Amino acid sequence: MTASFSLDWFFISLIFVAGLYGMMVSRSLLRQFISLEIMSKASLLGLISAGAKTGNLALAQTFIITMIVIEVVVVAAGLALLVKNYRLTGSIDVWSLNKLKG
Amino acid sequence: MTSSPGLLAYLLIPLFTAVAIPFAARFRTRMADVLANVTLLAGLLNLSLLLFDPANADSSFSAIPDDGFSLLMVFVIYLVGLCVTFFSTYFMEEGSGVARAPYFALIMTSVSAMCGIVTTGDFFTLYIFIEVLAVSSFALIASGERTGGLEGAIKYLLLTFPASLFILLGVAFLMLTAGTFSFEGVKTLVASGMPAGGTVFAVSLLLLGFLIKSGVVPFHAWTPDAYEGAYSPVSAFLAGIVTKIAGVYAVIKIAIILRLFDVKTCPAADILMFLGMLSIAVGAVAALRQNELKRMLAFSSISQVGYIVLAAGIGTPLAILGAIFHLVNHATFKTTLYLNSASLEKGAGTSDMTKLGGMEHSMPWTSWTSVVALMSTAGVPPLSGFWSKLLIIVALWDGGARIYAVLALLFSIVTLAYFMVMQRKVFFGKPTEASRAAREVRPAMLAPVVAMSVLIVALGVFFPYIYAYLVDTVAARIIL
Repeated sequence: MTASFSLDWFFISLIFVAGLYGMMVSRSLLRQFISLEIMSKASLLGLISAGAKTGNLALAQTFIITMIVIEVVVVAAGLALLVKNYRLTGSIDVWSLNKLKG
Repeated sequence: MTSSPGLLAYLLIPLFTAVAIPFAARFRTRMADVLANVTLLAGLLNLSLLLFDPANADSSFSAIPDDGFSLLMVFVIYLVGLCVTFFSTYFMEEGSGVARAPYFALIMTSVSAMCGIVTTGDFFTLYIFIEVLAVSSFALIASGERTGGLEGAIKYLLLTFPASLFILLGVAFLMLTAGTFSFEGVKTLVASGMPAGGTVFAVSLLLLGFLIKSGVVPFHAWTPDAYEGAYSPVSAFLAGIVTKIAGVYAVIKIAIILRLFDVKTCPAADILMFLGMLSIAVGAVAALRQNELKRMLAFSSISQVGYIVLAAGIGTPLAILGAIFHLVNHATFKTTLYLNSASLEKGAGTSDMTKLGGMEHSMPWTSWTSVVALMSTAGVPPLSGFWSKLLIIVALWDGGARIYAVLALLFSIVTLAYFMVMQRKVFFGKPTEASRAAREVRPAMLAPVVAMSVLIVALGVFFPYIYAYLVDTVAARIIL
């Protein structure tokens, strides 16, 4: 159990850092959004692992299901914004978002 | 999962209205704003009756349900919500790109989510409501005609969504180390002695997430863009209440739970104070050099949030009271200022400060309500902002952070300076081309800002009542 627990967190951190890296180096808005989702999946795994470790698996599972529902809504709203932005500006480059500054 | 079941109705009724609005607006679009306004007005009257009953002061507020902080926040949410919906009812033009039914439904959803945030009793429910609030604000920011709104919304999404993930990881760690994530559970854990390193790490992750959400300085990149780009009444909603409830409220709550001041070994308090001071300074200095009114107000908002975070960092009961009162005041004066900037856009056609001047002649009501709000922000004595800043600075001095107290006082003068510059540029001085052509907006659009200005003066003049309320409910029941 302990070995599996530390292995869990090894991979959780790996996925989280991979997402963070993707967010930092990518210039495409869509890739940044995907990286964001990868980070969020790592957090979900963290929650379920914490639940398994402390014997609160049922509680953790309820949370995960709630979380998945929220994730879907966030993804839908985020993609809607990106698609509208693409239609208006014709670009998914991060640096095309430069009209507001000062 | 709410800690104050008495307040659940304030959460559910706006949610029902949000569901009902699309059906009601099907045949008559005006039903959307009627429903939204009526719901919020009814809630507000109900809350005012509860809060401002004169018998309260004699019975030392024993009629107020368990948590005075939540009740006060629900009141502020309804107040700002009503001002914004009432203003947008008349601000929206027929045939403009903004559809009434979704707009008001989203506002009602976010009012409901904010009430959820302030009444919840554990971190996970808090997280869920923060996500609901975030999604409805993405849509609200992008609802305007201009492409700026879309850009602001995308920046808000990409820069604050990682904050949610930090909060979620914090919840996972809290489950792992403390075994609980209800506020009460964590509070008992902290009160029984210095918590284990893992718990502190978990709460620090939560704190990091909430600091990003509240736009404190190293994480402030999204704030001016989102506020400037948003559809004008939405900026007032966002700056006045949404980001404050999503971030700053939770920071104050964590400061109360962790008893940062007692647990002196906890370095989180020092970091919180440092970040607070940094945002006061950076916000004030950056606001000095802005030409766009809405952007300047956004930087001023960052600076005012700095005061609240600074007070939460020192964490003494007096400082927490100051922070809560400043949160209330920030909601009143920033809503007034943003609604007035929307009126300026409508009346004069621009909110660029270089093109405006002498607006006191053409738009007297807008100008003078703005001046009242500005003076309250800068902390001019009879107005409400003075008292909250005074509480915070006195608490800092008493708590031993004298350098911070002096700096906070000095930057309060810088606040006055940039508002003086703004007043001279926009409201006083020689009328320019744009302002000669400007006309005052209709009385219905002035009603919310006039009401808010009266409230600013009233909160300042009746400060002893407010102070008694805060001491008897918040300090006595949840801090001590």
